[in-house]
Amino acid sequence: MELVILMAGIVYGLIIGLIPAAGATTGLITLFGFMPYFASDPYLGVIFCVAVVASSTTGDSFSGVLLGIPGANSAAATMVDGFPMAKNGEASRALSAAITSSTLNGLLFGSLTFLFLPYYTKIVMYMGIPELWSLVVLAFVTVGFVSTRRYVRSITAIAAGVFIGLIGVDVNNVPRFTGGWRYIEDGVQILPFVAGLFAIPELWDGWVKRKQTITHKNLKGSTQGIWQGIMDTGRCWRDSLRGGFIGSFIGLLPGLGGAMADWLAYGATVAANPNEKFGTGNVRGVVGAEGANNAQKASSFIPTVLFGIPGAPFAAILMALFLYLGIDLGSPDTFLDTRLFNSMTYAFLVGTVITAILCYGLAYFAGWVTRVPYVYYFPFILGFIVWATVQYSHSWSDILMLTVCSALGLFCKQFQFSRPALLIGFLLSDRIYSLTYQMATLHTPADLVTRPIFIGTMMCVVVLAYWGITKRSRIDYV
Amino acid sequence: MFRIITALLMMTSVAVADYNLIVPQKPSGGTSVWSQIVVQEWEKHLGEKINLVYKPGARDQLGPNEFQNKLRFDDKTILVSHGGNGISYLVEPVDYNYLDWESIGQMNLNIIVGARKNANTLNGPIKFSAGSGMTPEIMAITMLLGGPGADYDRVFAEKIVWVKGMSGSERRLAFRRGDLNGTRENPAAYKKHVQPLTKDGTAFTWFHHGLLNVKTGQHDKDPNFKEPTFEALFESTHGVAPSGDFYDAYKLVKSWRDALQKAFWVNRGNPNKAKLVAALDRMIADPVSVAAIQKKVGQYEWRTGAEGDAAVRTLKSFITPGALKTLTDFGKNQLGYNAVYKEQLLK
Repeated sequence: MELVILMAGIVYGLIIGLIPAAGATTGLITLFGFMPYFASDPYLGVIFCVAVVASSTTGDSFSGVLLGIPGANSAAATMVDGFPMAKNGEASRALSAAITSSTLNGLLFGSLTFLFLPYYTKIVMYMGIPELWSLVVLAFVTVGFVSTRRYVRSITAIAAGVFIGLIGVDVNNVPRFTGGWRYIEDGVQILPFVAGLFAIPELWDGWVKRKQTITHKNLKGSTQGIWQGIMDTGRCWRDSLRGGFIGSFIGLLPGLGGAMADWLAYGATVAANPNEKFGTGNVRGVVGAEGANNAQKASSFIPTVLFGIPGAPFAAILMALFLYLGIDLGSPDTFLDTRLFNSMTYAFLVGTVITAILCYGLAYFAGWVTRVPYVYYFPFILGFIVWATVQYSHSWSDILMLTVCSALGLFCKQFQFSRPALLIGFLLSDRIYSLTYQMATLHTPADLVTRPIFIGTMMCVVVLAYWGITKRSRIDYV
Repeated sequence: MFRIITALLMMTSVAVADYNLIVPQKPSGGTSVWSQIVVQEWEKHLGEKINLVYKPGARDQLGPNEFQNKLRFDDKTILVSHGGNGISYLVEPVDYNYLDWESIGQMNLNIIVGARKNANTLNGPIKFSAGSGMTPEIMAITMLLGGPGADYDRVFAEKIVWVKGMSGSERRLAFRRGDLNGTRENPAAYKKHVQPLTKDGTAFTWFHHGLLNVKTGQHDKDPNFKEPTFEALFESTHGVAPSGDFYDAYKLVKSWRDALQKAFWVNRGNPNKAKLVAALDRMIADPVSVAAIQKKVGQYEWRTGAEGDAAVRTLKSFITPGALKTLTDFGKNQLGYNAVYKEQLLK
């Protein structure tokens, strides 16, 4: 029965991962209606949910690489080099590299996470408010200076993203930048924002060139591409492992999220390979960013299980689903529940392996997708995006929000403002704002200089900013 | 696989559900999860389906506002509200009005305040996470630090570090790390997040608010906590019971939040009320249902039907000019909220 449920979770997660702009969080939200049917054996529910996380995380590379639309926020970094590879007729190779890097790091850091779970407490406790603040600044600098050549436009995009992310209410619960529209007092929702920024511009582009395909190259068998992707990961093992370490570390820290992990991993890959060009289809970029993907998801379980404090947005939903199953993550009871740990370990590790096998199979056909004219599949993608968007409040306001975000995405694409930079600004805006408030309230400059992790991270920020301004990045993705 | 197919079939049955329950949050919010768990049991005793309709937005005010303006006139529509809606009702320009509704059931809740062992609970500073939901706790702490008749605005400014911008998760971690030296939780969350620290001697239970007795209007002791209520602690510390406008303002905001922490409502005169209340009563009397709910959301006291309406009348009696003005001024001038004085609540 466990295997059947595991497979069901994998298939569902994979479908969610493949859908543009969806991702693990969206996939888990829709599971609430299913939970009562696991009442007789809640651990089957655990297996199902964790399998969804494992498979959607690997599967979300597909739409980014094939269509230039990230399957989840975190997959945007993979897209920077993955989509140009698909355009060059190397879709299967890019996907294979992404799957291999993501899977190997998922297995490595997933094993480390579940084997040594109780020992991570001290690391989490060392990372106080100033340390988290400095990491968010590091992510901004990575995206702003390192991951694009046009850093002025990139910084403008980050600023715009931060502005949009701050729409809602301020720390005093006073509406901010809402213009009196009460609908957005809870902030701009992530799904219409990501879909509008990435999916709609690509769909529009596809409609304009509706008879064309992503690639016109005559592909000679995708098995070769898959094998090449696997070999690429082996060749770039340092980039992959570095990405895994970064993802694993970021996942440990509550609230920072997958997008930041992938961008830091991508930025580190760029910085570590100064003689190579990125953004035009370098497989190293795919391997580096994807290294962080599953590793981050795995380590996000650490604060979630140990403290009941979600390590990422998907983990918050997972906690709520588990509560529905009668499992209260973070409570002392969970530490003694060996079946819970076994179920999670089994679902994540075995789920990752099975997902990889299925994904290799799908990657085999990836080359075909890139040769199918947009006109045949864009109505389905558009239909799903609209449907998913209106699930928030079931009102016309949802459609209006999607329209506004789409206009913004089209504008950015037209005038070459970095959309990934806009996204990272949006995702981290609330974090930088609230952490700044907290740090200013609880810490003094004299106190900050005594914190080695904070000082070390800020030194990295300065070095990266200097490097970004003086050397200019070799990436040209907008 | 059978479970999945069954689940898919059941999901399609949502379209033909008999009742709609308006939930003012996203599906993953605290009240949403609570509703999903309770409704699962409630349906068994009602014999009809209840479809959860999520209406998030405007800091959870969109749902109650829509219910007030439009949805309540449908006899098959129920609303679930939470404690934050109660606070907003007192000091924010919301559309909804509890007095236009009738209570189906309410969950009465206590909130417990913990402090780090090294916190100076007599003179401060107390480092506490900000948020409108923290208003009762910070008012109680301000009174404890200031004593009777103090200038509480000054006490707050001098003895409390009000840390803005923290989510619940951040607050819990910050308290564990020692960045904050005071925190508060509901009983279930307290057991999970603070009691492990009280057991290892890092923290202690400072006080709790007690449970509102709707007949007397007083806060009774909570049998689950041996530590003193705020009133008892104040009296033992300062020799007199708390009193005055500031105390009345504390009592007002505390009661509207905790007594209505989770509440089901229908429109006044709804013909289905008796049936819904009876089903809820059967649920509360059913040990299997109660055990299923308590296992997931903790043990709380319920009030149903007329008892719930009586609770609203008791809460209304706490809205006095002095209490409301003090609450509004303190919220606006010290806590930094956009609080408005709602004179119409006094009518």
